[in-house]
Amino acid sequence: MASAFGIVSPTLPGINVRGMQNYRSLGAFSFLGRYRLIDFPVSNMSNSGIDRVQVYVSTRRPRSLTEHLGSGRFYNINSKKGKLQILFSGSGALNDAYKTDIAAYLDNLSVIKRVSQEYVIIAPNNMIYTQDFGAFLNKHIESGADISLLYHKVDDAKNAYAACEVLKLNKQKGVENIDTNKGDKDSQNIFMNTYVMKKDLLVDLILKGRELSKMYTLAQTVNVMLEELDVRGIQHKGFFAAVTDLESYYKANLSLLEPGKADELFHDDWTIYTRTTDACPTQYYDDAKVQESFVANGGHIDGTIINSIIGRGCTVGKGAVVKNCVVSAYAEIGEGAYLENQIVDKWARVIHKNRIVAEEGNVGYIGRDDVL
Amino acid sequence: MQSNMLAMILAGGRGSRLKDLTNKVAKPAVAYGGKYRIVDFPLSNCANSGIDVVGVLTQYESVQLNSYVALGGRWGLDSKDSGVFVLPPREKADANLDVYRGTADAISQNIDFIDKYAPEYLLILSGDHIYKMDYSEMLKFHQEKNADATIAVIGVPIKEASRFGIMNTDEDGHIVEFEEKPAHPKSNLASMGIYIFNWKVLRKTLLADMKNPDSSHDFGKDIIPIMLGENRTLVAYQFKGYWKDVGTIDSLWEANMDLLTDEQELNLADTSWRIYTEDASTPPQYFGPDAEVHRAYITQGCSVEGEVRSSVLFTGAKVGKGAKVIDSVLMNDVVVEDGAVVTRALVADGVKIGKGAVVGSADSENILLVAKRVKGVE
Repeated sequence: MASAFGIVSPTLPGINVRGMQNYRSLGAFSFLGRYRLIDFPVSNMSNSGIDRVQVYVSTRRPRSLTEHLGSGRFYNINSKKGKLQILFSGSGALNDAYKTDIAAYLDNLSVIKRVSQEYVIIAPNNMIYTQDFGAFLNKHIESGADISLLYHKVDDAKNAYAACEVLKLNKQKGVENIDTNKGDKDSQNIFMNTYVMKKDLLVDLILKGRELSKMYTLAQTVNVMLEELDVRGIQHKGFFAAVTDLESYYKANLSLLEPGKADELFHDDWTIYTRTTDACPTQYYDDAKVQESFVANGGHIDGTIINSIIGRGCTVGKGAVVKNCVVSAYAEIGEGAYLENQIVDKWARVIHKNRIVAEEGNVGYIGRDDVL
Repeated sequence: MQSNMLAMILAGGRGSRLKDLTNKVAKPAVAYGGKYRIVDFPLSNCANSGIDVVGVLTQYESVQLNSYVALGGRWGLDSKDSGVFVLPPREKADANLDVYRGTADAISQNIDFIDKYAPEYLLILSGDHIYKMDYSEMLKFHQEKNADATIAVIGVPIKEASRFGIMNTDEDGHIVEFEEKPAHPKSNLASMGIYIFNWKVLRKTLLADMKNPDSSHDFGKDIIPIMLGENRTLVAYQFKGYWKDVGTIDSLWEANMDLLTDEQELNLADTSWRIYTEDASTPPQYFGPDAEVHRAYITQGCSVEGEVRSSVLFTGAKVGKGAKVIDSVLMNDVVVEDGAVVTRALVADGVKIGKGAVVGSADSENILLVAKRVKGVE
């Protein structure tokens, strides 16, 4: 798809994932034991034939994300014609609320202007879905709209999608309003922060947004412009999850254990790429018991794992129980430990036969490198 | 080339005792250990030993193997001045199109390639063996001994020694005699098919050997005896550790079962000496609500809804509900459908075991190779 380039937008203000975000930016969050959140938008773009991708990275803790993306060669982006650019922003912002996507694009406006592609596809780094952007672009062009927005219909918006925006659509799928999800009703069209428009229009909107308010995001700017522009919604079908806080991160992981869910996200002809670590397979010993779980490679498992996600290179000792947990890479759950409803960050070691249980709906967090 | 040693991997053999597994691919390309191919071991050993240039000599059914090893980036052998080079037999200006007539001939036919790098030492490896070895240590030994050739050997049980090429050494470790599969072995030091030669010396020997019509152009049978006859300094380098020549279905199965032990001797989890391989883009391994897993080695892309016991599952293998896989190896993308039972079997790539089918048995003498679809039982 030579006519569009891709932008993976920066994390928006107001999204705060307790604990985890202290160590890395959202796109670098581990997902399903083997991926990072950024793998989904970048793979979607690569699979759609977009080989010019700009990833916006906040200068606050950029290491893990930039290290993970590297030159982009793991994402099957054409190594000569294509390019994965990492663009930094956010340094010198006086107020966190100023760190909008528009501010990030303004910091790199000349880079955006120089791109030769006519269209741009923008996707966020905190939403998990698969989408053929070629089809998305075609629908957009056919409709004749100025901007098309991707949305997902949900029926549980009262208690989820907290920091997300919702679209109000008319019968012709015209967007009437973009607003934050106030949690007042369950049935909503969640805006997936995914846009398609002409590049020149994006440049206009960036400048317009800055004129309106230093705190305006692209979505807020588009909302102001709804009278003047033809903005339409395009519905996404398949698996969708948005990571906006610790609870939604936890649920996004575990939801893929529900029957059939993983098949909605992973398709044989739509590879989700990630950086290889060359970890060996996982070794299971005599006392292992593993049910309803995803386990990544490189592990040593001799305990019980139920309804959990286990990252790369984890150890679960004899007699240990890991239930309803999301465990990041290289964590060690020692002999006899009992963990329930926990997120265990990278390199953490639970080695003193602890019993750590959180109530459902209030997931616990064990910090990176913590020894318990 | 930063290192003064160039490696050549002999990867042309069919491995016909592996039966249907090598109908379409050469033995070095055969899958092993969940996610690897056998040739990953010498290639990763080279990369980890600081060898930058590796030639891979292919011949039998080489298409898959060629395309596999040509991407040197998999082993980190893709920086400037380094690379993996596929070297099949080919037509040359001064010779007719010919196959490699023996292990030594394969090197002789690539003298020009080697000369281009002008290495001081040439490392000859087999693409058929599973082991981890630091060749830079062996080179150090070779240099200390002022040897013309160093041959890596491993102690084998004396009653099995007649299956191997045996090196007889004096008390200083100098090789005095080489015997190929001796009926009455005098020592238990088996050649691992790993040689370091001073390139100048080997080059001269190879050129002479090429002209000899009676030679079988084999390192063990021809080159080593010639060098011994010339009173060259040949020394044995004793290797200690896991080493397996997986020549048969039984030994390939066994090598996989070796990965299930508490203290895995091959230690694939050792991050200081990783074995690199092709990157599979699949989700992690999945276990269903009724899964049972006891002593297993399982890799990404697998899905277990039934029972897996003392078995190794390769990328993308699936075990259906109520199915049982016991003492078996399921190679890439094998599907064991609901209720099927697989015991003491090695199931080849992509084979489907139909619903309720029963293959293999617990008291079989040999491991059953399942290379074709097994129909389900209604």
